[in-house]
Amino acid sequence: MGRNEIRLRRQRMTARGIERYRNYNSVLKRHEENRRIKKVIRVFGFFVVILVVIMIIIFLSRWEERAQEKKTTTTSVMVEKNHHPIL
Amino acid sequence: MSEEEIRQEEAIIAKAKSNPAAFSTLYEKYFDRIFYYLYRQTDNEELAGDLCSQTFVNVLNNIKKYEFRGVPFSAWLYKIASNEVRKHYRKFKGKKVFSIEEVRIKELVEQSEETWSEDEINKLIDFMKDLPEEMLHVLELRFYEERDFKEIAYILDITESGAKMRTYRALDKLRKKFKIKIKYDG
Repeated sequence: MGRNEIRLRRQRMTARGIERYRNYNSVLKRHEENRRIKKVIRVFGFFVVILVVIMIIIFLSRWEERAQEKKTTTTSVMVEKNHHPIL
Repeated sequence: MSEEEIRQEEAIIAKAKSNPAAFSTLYEKYFDRIFYYLYRQTDNEELAGDLCSQTFVNVLNNIKKYEFRGVPFSAWLYKIASNEVRKHYRKFKGKKVFSIEEVRIKELVEQSEETWSEDEINKLIDFMKDLPEEMLHVLELRFYEERDFKEIAYILDITESGAKMRTYRALDKLRKKFKIKIKYDG
């Protein structure tokens, strides 16, 4: 058994045989379909990127809010602790 | 290919970048060559037809990226067709097929003294079965597609000296084993 399979053809394929496969309109149609799909994917990708950016911004602002709240609570607790009411 | 022909093709390609319908002239010009090239590597008419359409669809999808790199436009078509065949064999994990016309083998080998018998043809085919795939591919592009070494290098993504080396090694083996003269070995 060799590495490749070599097949010997006695006859050359006729030009009429090839004609069946020659169809530029179908090639053009498939190209247009591919282009449309690519466009849709690009638009979808663009929206996904925007969505991710918006989510990151929301996450960061919430995180900042929480951090701010935590800071305020700690400060008020400290103020309370340091404040000695006159008994 | 003359400078004038290259310039004409470049003009069609430039047009096709904005209007894909303009590419039909080049499609008609190269369809047969690319089909035969694919048919020789698959030995299946239907499959060669499918791969040929896919090749031209890919050409249209990427035509905007095409730029002249010192080799004819047809070399780019062969490169895309070659990738399609590779993809097909990778997907179906089959043994690489090379289908050769008997007449072309006889054309390839210059018989100086003896006549080329059936037995010798079979021996040659057995020998070719054992050649590394890349060597066979270079031989095919050189002798059946009549591409020069620069184009072969571009199509197979190898260096020009690499393409030359592969061809000469294969021819050398053939000469030693069969004591024959081969055409086009310049």
